[in-house]
Amino acid sequence: MAREEVFDGLKEIMASVKPSLDLGTVTFDSKLVSELGIDSLSMLLLSLAVEHKFNMRFENTEKPFDTVGEVCDYVINALQ
Amino acid sequence: MDNYFYDMLPADELARLHYIPSVPEFMTWLETTYADMPALCDHTNTYSYKALCDRVAHRRAFLESTGLPKGANIGVLDRNSADAIELFLAITSAGYTALMLPAGLPAPAIAGCCVRFDLQALFVRDEFKPLVEGVPAKVYPCCATSDAASPVTTVDPDAPAAIFFTGGTTGAPKGAVLSHRALMRGCYNAIFKPGNVIGVHRYIALLPLSHVFGLIAGTMGCFYTGNLIYTCEDMKATIGKLPVIKPTILIIVPGICDILAGLCKMYGPQFLGGQLRMIISGAANVPPRLVDIFTKLGVEFCFGYGLTETANLTSANANALEKPTSIGKIYPGQEAKIVNGELLIKGDNVFSGYYKDPVKTAEAFTEDGWFRTGDLVRFDKDGFLYITGRIKNLIILSNGENVSPESLEEPFYADPCVRDAMVKEDDLNGSHVIAVEILPQMPAFEGKSWEEVEAYMNALVAKINASLPSTHRIAKVTVRKEDFKRTGSMKVARNQ
Repeated sequence: MAREEVFDGLKEIMASVKPSLDLGTVTFDSKLVSELGIDSLSMLLLSLAVEHKFNMRFENTEKPFDTVGEVCDYVINALQ
Repeated sequence: MDNYFYDMLPADELARLHYIPSVPEFMTWLETTYADMPALCDHTNTYSYKALCDRVAHRRAFLESTGLPKGANIGVLDRNSADAIELFLAITSAGYTALMLPAGLPAPAIAGCCVRFDLQALFVRDEFKPLVEGVPAKVYPCCATSDAASPVTTVDPDAPAAIFFTGGTTGAPKGAVLSHRALMRGCYNAIFKPGNVIGVHRYIALLPLSHVFGLIAGTMGCFYTGNLIYTCEDMKATIGKLPVIKPTILIIVPGICDILAGLCKMYGPQFLGGQLRMIISGAANVPPRLVDIFTKLGVEFCFGYGLTETANLTSANANALEKPTSIGKIYPGQEAKIVNGELLIKGDNVFSGYYKDPVKTAEAFTEDGWFRTGDLVRFDKDGFLYITGRIKNLIILSNGENVSPESLEEPFYADPCVRDAMVKEDDLNGSHVIAVEILPQMPAFEGKSWEEVEAYMNALVAKINASLPSTHRIAKVTVRKEDFKRTGSMKVARNQ
């Protein structure tokens, strides 16, 4: 699956998770916590929705995701 | 006192449920009252009340084999597992005092807790073992048990049963000591819900057992009414299993309500399992829109108000539709009055004091023994309470934990390049986050550009965040060019 395709899917989910977000400002480099305001509970919803949409599972990672691009890359790797 | 709470339950069920003032007596009562009814499910095995009480008896025998003196403080560092639930019941029914540590606590904070709360033993989940190396307490695995069984111990209802964190789990946390009497009053009050309550519900231990709402209103309230509770060792995985577990009741904070509302919106209400009848929410402000969303899904929504110091349950509102902004009526077993706008409470459920902190304990009570909630309230003509403001500087996080801004500011003041820092609640893209405003010590940055000052402060926040549980991290940073507004004594003036 192409990175852009995952990115579009992610933005679609973000629109539900955070309706106040201006999706036009979201880029691969957007920081989840400090720029998009994704707190730990929003992250939980986001990850559940991503798992459901892409039919994959997030395993426990040592380092939390920092940017939107990192989430996209994780999903792509998980689908391979 | 009207019969608001007593009228919620059918008379025959109310007659079967009486206030039991200690955990050992409660365990004996559970075993005989609910014997073969299902009590606890770890997603593989389901234990009846008899089996649960038996497993707890073997845990008690292990505790007694350790030679720890009765009354010793014992910590548990685990997720919401069957081990953690059994250990809490065993520790408190064997005459020791339990302290349930939050699962996300970093290593230095765990060691600090052992010292501050005189923990003589710490039961640790395998995955957290690397975090407890060198702690000044005997360490045992959470699965520790014995072939022998030991009966419950007789305790004084006024003896300590548990210590709960309040006002922050970092910096200098306070430990609110709940006696058996107080803890069990909170548990008893958790029985009051509209409709039948005995043996009709499937619960999930979604909230941390280190938090009074998760332990008292959730787990212990479930047991009091002979219901079944599913463990939750992984929040995400457990929420993903809702369609399988089919919970009938959820005891959750508003943040999790929001998640469930979002999932229902994306995937339909069947995501909740199709049998959910009731949500009980609290520990943070409950927005009326959540009441509206779940009412439309046919789920009854109740919420309440309470503090760690009042064994969680101070008031509850089962009339969320008619009075969506009220925190409800005062639970039985308490007296309440308003002095200078502040809600004062007296009753069985009030804590004994902050652990080894006589100054803060004295500040928490009036001279004639009323607990000062720190919340400004008013009653309406029907006796329903409304919060109108807060005296204490507590930040209530979206997961229901509370943290004092002062404890988060402490590490900033340790940095020589910071003149003042103020931690507060703020909004970031619609999320409720923790923010900090920092006033730099400008002489320390002589010859540096403003961008460099900002970069230094952002790096400082990142460093401080790395030492905090994820729920306590600062998400928004403002570096101030102008001084803060200050009080007459030149302290930073909050809320201005």
